[in-house]
Amino acid sequence: MTGEILRVLLLGLQLGFVALLYLVLVRFARSLLRDLRSAEEAQMSSRSGIGRLSVLESPADEPPNGTTIALGPINSIGRNVNNTIFVEDDFVSANHAMLTFRGRSWFVEDQGSTNGTHVNGHRIDRPVALSFGDELSIGRVRMRLDR
Amino acid sequence: MIATNIRRLGVYLMLAFAIVSGSITWWQVVEAQNLSTRSDNPEVIAARRSLLRGTIFDAGGQVLATSELIDGLSRRTYTDPAMTHVIGYSSLRFGSTGLERTFEDILVGQTDPNPIRDLVSDVLARQPEPRDLMLTIDRRLQDFAAEQLGSDAGAVVALDPRTGAVLAMVSTPTFDATPISGDPDGAQEPMDALRNDPAEPLLARARQGLYVPGSIMKVFTAAAALDAGVIDPDTTFPDQPREESEGFVVDGFTVREHDLSGIEPDLWPLSEALQVSSNVFFAHVGLELGAEEFLDYARRFSFCDSIRIGSPERGLQVAPSLVSGSLDGDCGPFGGEVDLASASFGQGQVVVTPVQMALLAAAIAGDGVMPEPYVVREVRTHAQGDVPTDEVLDTFGSGGGTRVVSAEAAAQTRAAMVDAVNGEFGRRYAGQGDVTLYGISNERSAGKTGTAELGGEQAPHSWFIGFAPAQADATPRIAVAVLVESGGSGSEGAAPIAGRVMAEWLRLSEGE
Amino acid sequence: MIGSRSRIAWRGAEFRLLLPILLLVPFGFLITNVALAGAPEVGDLTLALGYVALFAGAHLLLVAFGHRGDQLILPAVGAMGGIGMIMLNRLPQDLAGTSAFGLELGMAGTQLLWFGVGIIAMLAIAVGLRDDGILRHYKYSWAAVGIALLTATLVFGYEVNGARLWIDLGPVSVQPGELLKIVLVIFIAGYLAETRTLLTSASVRIGFLSIPPLPYFLPMLALFGVVMLIVVRLNDLGTALLFFGIFLTMLFVATGRRSHVLIGLVLFVAGSFVAYRLFGHVQSRVDIWLDPFADPLGAGFQPVRALYALGRGGIFGEGLGQGLVTLGGNLTIPYVHTDFIFTAVAEELGLLGAFALLGFAMVLVFRGLRIAALARDDFGALLAVGVTTSLGLQTLIIIGGNTKLIPLTGITLPFVSYGGSSVLASFIMIGLLLAVSHRSGTADRAPGS
Repeated sequence: MTGEILRVLLLGLQLGFVALLYLVLVRFARSLLRDLRSAEEAQMSSRSGIGRLSVLESPADEPPNGTTIALGPINSIGRNVNNTIFVEDDFVSANHAMLTFRGRSWFVEDQGSTNGTHVNGHRIDRPVALSFGDELSIGRVRMRLDR
Repeated sequence: MIATNIRRLGVYLMLAFAIVSGSITWWQVVEAQNLSTRSDNPEVIAARRSLLRGTIFDAGGQVLATSELIDGLSRRTYTDPAMTHVIGYSSLRFGSTGLERTFEDILVGQTDPNPIRDLVSDVLARQPEPRDLMLTIDRRLQDFAAEQLGSDAGAVVALDPRTGAVLAMVSTPTFDATPISGDPDGAQEPMDALRNDPAEPLLARARQGLYVPGSIMKVFTAAAALDAGVIDPDTTFPDQPREESEGFVVDGFTVREHDLSGIEPDLWPLSEALQVSSNVFFAHVGLELGAEEFLDYARRFSFCDSIRIGSPERGLQVAPSLVSGSLDGDCGPFGGEVDLASASFGQGQVVVTPVQMALLAAAIAGDGVMPEPYVVREVRTHAQGDVPTDEVLDTFGSGGGTRVVSAEAAAQTRAAMVDAVNGEFGRRYAGQGDVTLYGISNERSAGKTGTAELGGEQAPHSWFIGFAPAQADATPRIAVAVLVESGGSGSEGAAPIAGRVMAEWLRLSEGE
Repeated sequence: MIGSRSRIAWRGAEFRLLLPILLLVPFGFLITNVALAGAPEVGDLTLALGYVALFAGAHLLLVAFGHRGDQLILPAVGAMGGIGMIMLNRLPQDLAGTSAFGLELGMAGTQLLWFGVGIIAMLAIAVGLRDDGILRHYKYSWAAVGIALLTATLVFGYEVNGARLWIDLGPVSVQPGELLKIVLVIFIAGYLAETRTLLTSASVRIGFLSIPPLPYFLPMLALFGVVMLIVVRLNDLGTALLFFGIFLTMLFVATGRRSHVLIGLVLFVAGSFVAYRLFGHVQSRVDIWLDPFADPLGAGFQPVRALYALGRGGIFGEGLGQGLVTLGGNLTIPYVHTDFIFTAVAEELGLLGAFALLGFAMVLVFRGLRIAALARDDFGALLAVGVTTSLGLQTLIIIGGNTKLIPLTGITLPFVSYGGSSVLASFIMIGLLLAVSHRSGTADRAPGS
């Protein structure tokens, strides 16, 4: 009789164990999926280029708020219309900054602007590597580097 | 670029993981059942350690095998070594063979012969209950036949031609299976001794031994040719007398008679040809019949395929007997006319099991209907003592048999076989097979001897197939095949054994 | 976090995944204890708690060092290792063990000790390897180390199971082949990262096959040839197959040329065929593989017993601690703690457990590939690919061998099989993965990110 009780107990424990095992797997799957989704987004951007800038804040609406700008390997940013990325803002110099893709990383370099170039709120004084998700401020215009 | 390659690698690895998952699923789901019933599975062995197996009784209710629990371990005891090659052994170390294997699940009670009860006990996870088996074999006849073979290697197979019930099936040399089935640690030594014995006691000769049949094959050739209509009992071949003395040239190969010991060659028809066992006559008959017909009849008589004693799902396996070259376990085509002519008198590429030849005799005895052999008659509930219970759970029986030749062809062959034992010439060869010599006064045997020439210095294998009673109007009650390895001519070795075994059975079954 | 580099990185995903896994291990110990004792008692959970402490410690240290590497890798390792520890603790403890440093440890205890050593090595590499120059620039030195390891094995090694793989170092025996694997991966990654462009651009085309330009390729091919030769001399077919697989995969990822892989495969098949004809032991392995049931008590004993164990497990398993591991004092599957640990898992946890284990391995592999894809440079990417392939192929080869998909070879299942060298090597590889992942996570990050 005790043997049977033990058997049932073990069966219950075993079921619990396997259930926990699969709970962990499901959690793994969820984490994987989350990353996959962001990777998919990255893939979509990589189809159109090597990265893009999302416009977070643009007082003069040039570039327009909420839009994204596809990036080439070399992008000049400034108030001069000949720049790859034309920015309409009084606090932006004519040739303000250079955004370049070298090897595997994005770099930004200030071109001697008056008000400087900020990355994540810090003014830069040398070429700096950017990671996706970093925030770039040119004058009052805030943009985010995305895949 | 590297990222693209990595993505591709990911796809390949995913595929590999999928294949491996498939492989795991295959063994854990698809094959799991098959694996769990293999008798060399350690789980099966472990389970069997403490499981009682049912008792096995002979036809008369005598105990042949019993189990008892000693120190929680199930031990099997066998009462009769003559039965070993039928019952097999059930070893905790070496798995099981014979009936112990084919009826394993029923003996230990893991399967109920009744499918509904089986399902119920499966669902309720009931402790298996052992079941007993009742055989068709009569231990008295079995032991008698084993005594007749004595120390010779050979086999005796006796069937009831009316039902296919196996009355005796002896293979010698045999061995006592009890030590192998007992203490698993003590089993290795006796098993090694058996494995290393040059006499090959582990070989169940009756079922698994393949031998050149020699002249007993002429019975088959005659029955097939009569049925096909290519000969009748009076057919002769013009050149017979010359060929009987000088030889019959087939394709450059000369078919010769054996030593006719003074009998003058003549224009012998079937009866005489069978009595003197003329190779020339049967070579002609075989050639008349033709290769295709010959093979066709052979297959009808269940040559060329493995036979089961019992049902196809649950039967003792018999090695396939072959009449021509082997091709994937089947009879291949004949190499040429020589092969066909030689096969017609039982030489050449023909190899047969004693069981197959007993079936041949039974088919002639049964008016052309070949019975389906079986050896387990009933499954009964487990008996506590030495007496079988009355509760029969399942019955096995005659499947009705298959007509292989017409009743007329069978009757003509039978008449010739009666002559082969009792006729003027026949008596000299097969006379020793007649039951009258062994205390049966009012009945006769039919039969045919065979002397399987092996070439070289080796003494030939000695054969006899026949049945009794065989005189007109009698219904044969026993058909036998007897083989004595290196037993000399059929008349010396096998015929007297067959005669005695048939006579013994007629006595034992009298008043039946 | 603005203004200074954060020293702490809250590894939330890792924490959330580790939590149930670390719960699972004592739970599994509890079940096996109850099953083995045949009574509802908790039993000894010391080793399980030790295991929990090790992984919790590793997690906390990664957090403390502000490590930004992948967060799924450590939990996946924890899950595989956890299942392994539960099984090893449940098997007879006298199968292996140590009695060194004044310690008397059974099999599971020894394994836990090696997990500790492995995790320390992993952390040291994951945190300490800020600059991979030491790996990349000294690749020929690494190659020399590898050759030295092999030669040492050849000279001082002793045989276990017909393969000469072990070197006795007083208290412990090590399998240099396990460490050689890592050295080889580093070397190939360094070499390919440097010559990758040359290899792809300057290929010679013959028909539709493109042959790599030999002058650039020769040094690696030569080294590889030497390695393979010695491995074959050491009679270790599994390792040979693994090395070859790693080599071909890394070559494929570096060049993207399927034809290179194809040539390699053809060479491998041809080589295998020659080996089959030449070496008796290869031939018998293959024959056993083709029909293990031909001799279930002799040559086919191991694979047949493994298949029986799989069959016993079925879909739901016999239950932890309730498998038929021993019978009459003998193991039903020989080498159940090393080569056949997977079948033991599959027997007691069933197809469900086997799939879960495979699932964890897949998480590890695909996260490894993701790390490679996101790596900052080619060397990092190739290193991650090599390490991941090594772990993945090992898993595939040994499970494939256990299930009669391919001939059985003596390879360990990473983090699950018993074996110090294997555990240490596997953790070093995880350390490398974390290091690569950390660098791509931070790069020369802009301040404040």
